[in-house]
Amino acid sequence: MRWTARTRAGVVCAVVAAVFTAYSVRLVDLQVTKHQSYAKKAAEKHTMRMVIHARRGLIFDRNGELLASNLPVRTVVADGSHIQDPAALAKIAAPFLEQDEGDLRARLSSEKKYIVLRREFPEEKAVALKAAIQAANLRGIYFEKDAVRTYPNGQMLGHVLGFLNNQGSGIQGVEMTMESHLRGQDGYRYIEHDRTGREIMLYRGQEEPAVHGLNVRLTIDMGLQAILEEELDTAFRDLKLEMAAAILMDPNTGEILAMASRPCFDPNRPGEAKPEEMKNRAILDMVEPGSTFKIVVASGAINEGIVNDKTSIFCENGAFSYGGKILRDHHGYGAMGVADILVKSSNIGSAKMALMMKDAKYYEYVRRFGFGEKSGIELPGEIPGLVHPPHRWDKLTITRMAMGQSVAATPLQITMGMSVVANGGRLFAPQIVRSIEDADGRVVQDKPPKMLREVVSKKTANFVGRALSGVVAEGGTAQLAKVAGFTTAGKTGTAQKASPTGGYAPGKYVVSFVGYLPVENPRFVCLVLLDDAKVASNLNYGGLLAAPVFSRIGERAARYLDLVPALRAELPGPLAMDDQKKERAN
Amino acid sequence: MNTNRKKQVNPVHLTTLVRCLLLAFLVGVGGLFFLYIKTQQFTLSEEIRQVERRIADLRAQNESLLARVTELSSRRSLQQRIADGFISLKPIQDNVIARLMPPVRATEDGVLRTAFNEGLRQ
Repeated sequence: MRWTARTRAGVVCAVVAAVFTAYSVRLVDLQVTKHQSYAKKAAEKHTMRMVIHARRGLIFDRNGELLASNLPVRTVVADGSHIQDPAALAKIAAPFLEQDEGDLRARLSSEKKYIVLRREFPEEKAVALKAAIQAANLRGIYFEKDAVRTYPNGQMLGHVLGFLNNQGSGIQGVEMTMESHLRGQDGYRYIEHDRTGREIMLYRGQEEPAVHGLNVRLTIDMGLQAILEEELDTAFRDLKLEMAAAILMDPNTGEILAMASRPCFDPNRPGEAKPEEMKNRAILDMVEPGSTFKIVVASGAINEGIVNDKTSIFCENGAFSYGGKILRDHHGYGAMGVADILVKSSNIGSAKMALMMKDAKYYEYVRRFGFGEKSGIELPGEIPGLVHPPHRWDKLTITRMAMGQSVAATPLQITMGMSVVANGGRLFAPQIVRSIEDADGRVVQDKPPKMLREVVSKKTANFVGRALSGVVAEGGTAQLAKVAGFTTAGKTGTAQKASPTGGYAPGKYVVSFVGYLPVENPRFVCLVLLDDAKVASNLNYGGLLAAPVFSRIGERAARYLDLVPALRAELPGPLAMDDQKKERAN
Repeated sequence: MNTNRKKQVNPVHLTTLVRCLLLAFLVGVGGLFFLYIKTQQFTLSEEIRQVERRIADLRAQNESLLARVTELSSRRSLQQRIADGFISLKPIQDNVIARLMPPVRATEDGVLRTAFNEGLRQ
């Protein structure tokens, strides 16, 4: 073959064409055939999905007082591949992070790309540490955004508010029940970053903004809550109680104005709390209500027309033999009207009224008052109490139930029961959440009061209410519950404490008082329930222990709510005399 | 053929040359301008990123301070400071109360004001 110029040129062209064709094929292969695969690899290396954290909603009381908020903190992390001088970095960071310099140096010497150095690092310290690192011209320590939930009032209202777990989800109280509203929804943003990990903003990709959580406004009034807790604390400390609970409720709406249990815990430090301290006794504990339950039988019997204000019931002079057992009263009473049976808290009179009503009708009223079923309050773990149906009763059960034995109720149910009498016979669903609002305070979801049913007629409720006023008056079992200046009504309860081994624990009592004021236009119902006070057994009565606590709460609450006193002054002896002396001196 | 080749001249077409050079210059300037714009974009985006970060930091600091203020002005904290004697509650003086109704003393109308039981407790 002769290598003419033309041949040589042809060969060179062919070689060049072949090379270019090869490159072109490879180019097509890279850019077209394997485009998706390489694009994915590149994206994995440089693109990341950055989560934009949603801010958890706040919790307010009914007047806008902040009860739960978010404190911004940082998670301090290190990227070992970015650290060139671990010793210098450790020397700067150790005092801020409050860690041993040697340990920190060892951790920073790792090649790992994600080393968590400290969680919940305060924002101010993070700013200072960042400035110190920048001043030393070092890198490798970064600060991720985070937030911790804080409860500015500490223990106050802790049971109602609840707290969050490590993942930031509510696991108790309103934090749990309102989780779906409070949590919000995290957003995201696709970003590209350079070799050093810095975002290249020019290539910022798809973005979905975070939807912040909604705020929750409770029905709680912190002014009343503070009063309730202070008085409950005093009683808990002075009487060395095992447990105590108190509730303030608006009988006309079912709104819970205050709710407290003792012992309690600080939701800012749930890890330090004992399990029994975390229990919201107002809805999680059931007790035999004792004589407070007598309002059910009285209301039912009157409402059914079985008894009326003229009916006289013989109370067997204090000992009633029924079903082979003797039922006793505290004092021996003869014939009494319905009102007097409530005022004197006669067990025999109540039992006889229940017998007159018969099993089915009495059971119907117990259930209509809301006992034996969950109230549906927006708090987790509520129990329904214990009310056996009539087919499981023995002959004595009806007489025992009438005086608040053989039945168990939560403190909330007892309060609801008294609210029925206070508001004219209507049972309202208890409510702790008033509304759901957005960040600007606009109501997203309103929660109006919900009436469940009319339990008794207004006439019946008024009759029982008048009778309950007598309980607080001269000759009643709870004269110490009187609130100066206001008409007050209520009922004491003194129940033996059930023993875990069966039967009743000797010498242990659960005493209570549930009442309301003013009688003419009740503004609140208040329950005070005290478990196992360490006092002499002749003093361990609802009228002696729980009633004075009610009186103090009622008095302070009335002043807080600016209620106008309706009664004329009835100053006690010494004070009245002092007052008169002053008057004379003036 | 040789004679012809000697006579053959390849004049430089100045117009074409200028046109080519101008085109090359324009392409070069265009490229440089593109680079300049691109760099400007990067610089601006970096500035935006820094501003965003500063705003985020300030917002975080602000929230942190707000949380602190909330805690310090919380009911618990104020009650503690009253108990510790750092702040005290004083009754509001009559001369700073604007009354719609004249004040009534308990001893005048016989109606008991609720403050009295508190005194008994103490």
